[in-house]
Amino acid sequence: MDTVDLARLQFALTAGAHFLFVALTLGLATLVAAIQTRATFSRDPVHLRMTRFWGQLYIINYAMGIATGLVMEFQLGLSWSGLTEYAGNVFGSALAIETLVAFFVESTFLGLWIFGWDRLNRWVHLALIWVVTLTAYASAFWIMVANGFLQQPAGHVVDGGVLRLVDFGALVANPAAQIAFGHVMGGAMITGGFFVAGVSAYHLRKRTAEQDFFRKSLRIGVWVALPATFFTVTFGGLGFQTLQPTKAAAWSDDAARMAAAQAEMVAAHGPGDYLPPVGPVLAAGITMMVLWLVMTVVAGLSCLLVLFRPVVRRFRLWHWLLTLMIPVPFVTMLAGWMFREMGRQPWAVYGLLKTADAMSPVSAGQMRLSLIAFTTVYAVLIVVNYRLLARQARRGPEATSLGAPAVPALSF
Amino acid sequence: MEIFILAFFALGYLVLGGADIGVGMALPYLGRTATERREVIAAIAPFFLGNEVWLVATAGVLAGLFPELEGELLSGNHTLVVVLVLAWAVRDMGLWLRGREPGARWQAFWDGAIVAGSWGLALSWGALLSHVLVGIQGPFAVLPAAVVAALFATHGLAFAALRLRGTLRERAAVLSGGAGEARTYALTAAVLLAVGVLAGLRLPLHPGTSGSVLVPLILTLMPLLAAAQAWVWWMFRHRVTGPSYL
Repeated sequence: MDTVDLARLQFALTAGAHFLFVALTLGLATLVAAIQTRATFSRDPVHLRMTRFWGQLYIINYAMGIATGLVMEFQLGLSWSGLTEYAGNVFGSALAIETLVAFFVESTFLGLWIFGWDRLNRWVHLALIWVVTLTAYASAFWIMVANGFLQQPAGHVVDGGVLRLVDFGALVANPAAQIAFGHVMGGAMITGGFFVAGVSAYHLRKRTAEQDFFRKSLRIGVWVALPATFFTVTFGGLGFQTLQPTKAAAWSDDAARMAAAQAEMVAAHGPGDYLPPVGPVLAAGITMMVLWLVMTVVAGLSCLLVLFRPVVRRFRLWHWLLTLMIPVPFVTMLAGWMFREMGRQPWAVYGLLKTADAMSPVSAGQMRLSLIAFTTVYAVLIVVNYRLLARQARRGPEATSLGAPAVPALSF
Repeated sequence: MEIFILAFFALGYLVLGGADIGVGMALPYLGRTATERREVIAAIAPFFLGNEVWLVATAGVLAGLFPELEGELLSGNHTLVVVLVLAWAVRDMGLWLRGREPGARWQAFWDGAIVAGSWGLALSWGALLSHVLVGIQGPFAVLPAAVVAALFATHGLAFAALRLRGTLRERAAVLSGGAGEARTYALTAAVLLAVGVLAGLRLPLHPGTSGSVLVPLILTLMPLLAAAQAWVWWMFRHRVTGPSYL
């Protein structure tokens, strides 16, 4: 493999892995915030315990997600300095706003939420989780503005061989960013919904003593997942209108359309191969759609079944199915990202900068070193996160240490 | 103005993040038993999440306001930055994971990760700063790197002396001698600031072209961000009285 392939592999692996954490964080944060809102108004002990249990799982996932996000932020300058030098004045703005408006506030307030449990007024504590959730959305929004710019550049001019930002409004209002943001948020809600439903179903299958706790959780999970599938597919459908001509041609799998798109690009940009790899783009797109259908059917069915209390208590095949569904949204989202990103090739910034020209002047040896090092740490992070989540989820609400009054955990 | 913004976040990170890195480096010295170590960690637990975002913000400011420098600095110090980011990730994992399982071996392992990650971070910062400051790389860079790392460790001890109590506090105060704890912290913070400023003066700080959009936005935000941070400091201003969530 040459250096650019190594750099692309590294980006694909790290971005894909990071997104696994991101999707669950966005979905779970929303559910935890909603449950805590309910708990704060009702003072119902079940809702208070639900907040702590799901909040604990959220924090485990968030903390491991930060570590993967750190690598992402530095990777652009490390491996893709050609991109930051050429387009940094435009898409770097979105990244800067993301760190300051979103991540800075999100992390600071999350620390207060975790360590300020029982030390803060309960309404202030509730406000904190909502700030954390909304800034997480803002974070996703600005990242999608950056990504949308790479997909369909907007708001820039070419000036002295590099890009310059001239229309901030156009950068933000870019349909390739806005629609994708809606699509990603919907996907995150599906992920969070199926996660909560799947874990709850596990406990119900085990004939848990916490019937009320997990029945309510299961209901929240499936009731979020079903509307989220419709929300996601709506934005996904709209997204097809923002596809680049070459990606659209590859997706059509029609030789004549592909030849036309290729000829158009050659006329505009000179000789070269401007079609994305058709096989992977098709495979990723079809995988995404088929799994969406599976999730929609299961979520729809579950929304009906959850209405009948004896079914919720005893229908073990359904419990099994829901637990097995936990990984499906993750796979679907990765397929979606592959469709979006491989379909953009050979461009880093569509129509402006080729991926091969976006590289840093680093050697293959350096690239191999960072690829191995990052991949190893990511593999450890994913395995540890998976095992901790699974173990904590299996132990159930009694073993939750977040906000536990019995443990002197939160006294300073 | 761009330079002021970059300096604000970078120097903020050196002082705030430097303290919790230093505590991590001194963990085996400060905490001799598992219980003691947990209490030492409680000294930084509510802060480290809010401290490391200063570096994330610094990188964001570089990406938005100094994109050319961002590429040069990071890809030009490729291996060093890779080590820095890895050490950071390992350290964070240690902090979050040590308390997740009850086993002694589990905790000892992740305590080790905290110490190794903190040293890795401090040394790679040292190497990076001395590369920028005095322009040396390779084996000879070990010396200035070690000096900067020692500075982080001293700063961490000074912070720990402000946060801990009893024996732990006495251990942390080993270097400050008769001087007041707050005064020692102010001194180490001032030296870190000086190193940061000197390194900054050596960098080619030519802002990019998106300042007209970003600068007003960031300047408006900065008081709010500082206020959010100040709330955390105020909330956890008292000495540690026991173990924390981590």
